[in-house]
Amino acid sequence: MAVLTKRRETAPARTAARRPRRLARAAGPWLWLAPLLLLFGFFKFWPTLWGMYLSFFEVRPYLGNTWTGWENFAQALGDDAFRSAVAHTVIDAAVTVTLSAGIGFALALLLEGPARHLRLLRTAVFLPVVTAMVAVVELWNTLLYPGAHGPLNSLLGLVGLGPLPFLSDPDSSLASVMLVQIWKSAPYDMVIFVAGLAAIDRQLYEAAALDGASAWQRMRHVTLPQLRPVTTIVLTLGVIRGLRVFTEIYVLTGGGPAGSTETVVTYTYKAGIQNNQLGMASAVSTVLFLVTVVLTCLTLWWRRRRED
Amino acid sequence: MSTVRGRWVGRALAPVTALVVTAGLTACGGGEGGSGGGGGALQVWVRGAEDSAAAYEEIFAGYTERTGVEVELFMTLTDFETKLNAAAAARDLPDVVINDAAQLGTMLGQGIITEIDRDALAGQEDVSDTAWASTTDIAGATYAVPFSAQANVLLVRTDWLDAVGMEAPTTWDELLAVGRAFTTEDPDGNGQDDTYGMAVPGSTERGYLAWNWATYLAQAGGSFLEPVPGGDGAYVSGAGSDAAVASADLLTRMICGDAPMAQPGALNHVTSATNTAFQTGVTGMYLTGPYAYATTDATEIEGLYTAVAPPAGPAGAGSLAEGTSLYAMAGSDHADAFPGFAEYMISAEAQETGMIGVGSATVVRLPVNTTVDVAEVRAGDERWELARRVYEENGVYEPVAVPNWGAYRAAAAETLNSLAADCGDTAAAMAELDATFTGMLGDAGIGG
Repeated sequence: MAVLTKRRETAPARTAARRPRRLARAAGPWLWLAPLLLLFGFFKFWPTLWGMYLSFFEVRPYLGNTWTGWENFAQALGDDAFRSAVAHTVIDAAVTVTLSAGIGFALALLLEGPARHLRLLRTAVFLPVVTAMVAVVELWNTLLYPGAHGPLNSLLGLVGLGPLPFLSDPDSSLASVMLVQIWKSAPYDMVIFVAGLAAIDRQLYEAAALDGASAWQRMRHVTLPQLRPVTTIVLTLGVIRGLRVFTEIYVLTGGGPAGSTETVVTYTYKAGIQNNQLGMASAVSTVLFLVTVVLTCLTLWWRRRRED
Repeated sequence: MSTVRGRWVGRALAPVTALVVTAGLTACGGGEGGSGGGGGALQVWVRGAEDSAAAYEEIFAGYTERTGVEVELFMTLTDFETKLNAAAAARDLPDVVINDAAQLGTMLGQGIITEIDRDALAGQEDVSDTAWASTTDIAGATYAVPFSAQANVLLVRTDWLDAVGMEAPTTWDELLAVGRAFTTEDPDGNGQDDTYGMAVPGSTERGYLAWNWATYLAQAGGSFLEPVPGGDGAYVSGAGSDAAVASADLLTRMICGDAPMAQPGALNHVTSATNTAFQTGVTGMYLTGPYAYATTDATEIEGLYTAVAPPAGPAGAGSLAEGTSLYAMAGSDHADAFPGFAEYMISAEAQETGMIGVGSATVVRLPVNTTVDVAEVRAGDERWELARRVYEENGVYEPVAVPNWGAYRAAAAETLNSLAADCGDTAAAMAELDATFTGMLGDAGIGG
């Protein structure tokens, strides 16, 4: 550092010559990012901003849009179906995120390690994540067939239970779609937890063992605190996933029966595509976007506060 | 060194740049299906899937042979509306759209279709008045050309009827009796309680349950919306009428309660799941369009079912009439080619090709051209003659000309789906739907 400072003092001419190079160095990363930023800008940021703009119009793609101010927001917020969709979305996100993370963590504890059979098991458990969503969901639709001869009901019948209505009854439909979501996302959480577990310094465990800590105490005072950043990521991703859940619900129930599985995104789809209310659909999407941003910022703020 | 690195960077960036440029151009170009640029081919978009494309290609080949005008077909099913909206936003609509007759009000509201001079079309007098009636707006101006028509029929398992010793139902009471017998008397004789009376598409998606209800509503003498006599295009809601309550009660009681006669999970089912319920021996009856003949004949129950006219209700016979129409799109560079295209599409030649050109895709269910003899074209299959009779004698269209009609159908489906989910108070639910319809009509400025 001292040498560098000296050189700068003694060779101002050279410093001037380096300025463009420094500029190039600063611009370098941006140049590398430029293609991706351009793609993102064109296909993500611009449509997002455009959607927000359309929230304030009665959208008529061919005839031209008419400014309506906050009317779309007022219409959505005043609609019972929307309010009930928000409630379902919050319940769905809270339950699926919590249970997925819990099960994912338990699976990670069971399956973490370098042994070959564990790797095989981890791959098997991870399969739901990489399988095409619609195909998997159709399979679940068959498994959850509500009649006494449905596959899952047949199994329940063997132990004297059921038949359960699963997706066909408003009282059990939301729980059933959440079951499918947890099945699909718990392995994803598991993989993140496995990575987190592998990164924990083994010396901490050894030190705790030397101090006479039990397995539970090691988990409580070493594993869990060390996993805090990873847990934040799992929860953040889970909440975002939960708030914009669509495919599973659309294929399984289409939001029914009696609107019992309607979520914000299925509501948006119906408003925009089926009922041709593109302005209102944009308004609902804008609200969802803002809520997601606020929740994500809150999580990050909470995480920073905890870590500080 | 810097030269080498520069070259390397150039090589690495080249494909990315190409990708960006290509993506940009694709996005700006509005897709291949658009009519922009005034190319030679007539751009025709069809909402359909699978073998229908082959059937349309065959019809268009006949048109091209006769007129020399090439047709470029674009067909999609699930995201048709999205793509059409995108084309409208880019002001780059196709020349012609072939879509459900029920889309008339929606497309009118979007301002994307143009008025048709019906009298100027050669052969228009051969098209049935019933079909033409589905193409006019609420003021009576023609905005589409009918291409195919149909009305719902009732498919019934004949072997199950034999097993329970009953005849195909002709009235609502008989319908419920047969449905109950199919549900409780083990008509397939496998010793298990696994059969049901009626296949019902009970989902709210695209308003399916309301679509199914429309036939019962017509049989009760009701309608979704009723034009105000002399009201200059004004409508009042029909959802609160006695007919609406009686028909909603009939339909929802098939689905709810302790011993429902609809297949399990009916309230989430759209076409495919409902087809499966009938085709795999879960249910013994299915109220659907005659297009189901071909698909059902390709399953294990071929020859084990018959088609009958839908059972009569309190107001007599009735069946939901539907159709497919040709829409001339706004801003088309080939507007002058539309009359010739429409004339060919309603000609006996094109109608017959649409009926039997591709066996697995009957894009023309019933011909709109009255000179085509259904019995002759469908020689040996009396079910089609039945479908023709039901359509002509008892077919009732939904009020498809009402702007944004799909939203009314969706609202009705939501009400019926909720009602069937908990066996609620039918009169109260229909009164609520009545208020919803009245509000929607008022918002649209066509309330009576």
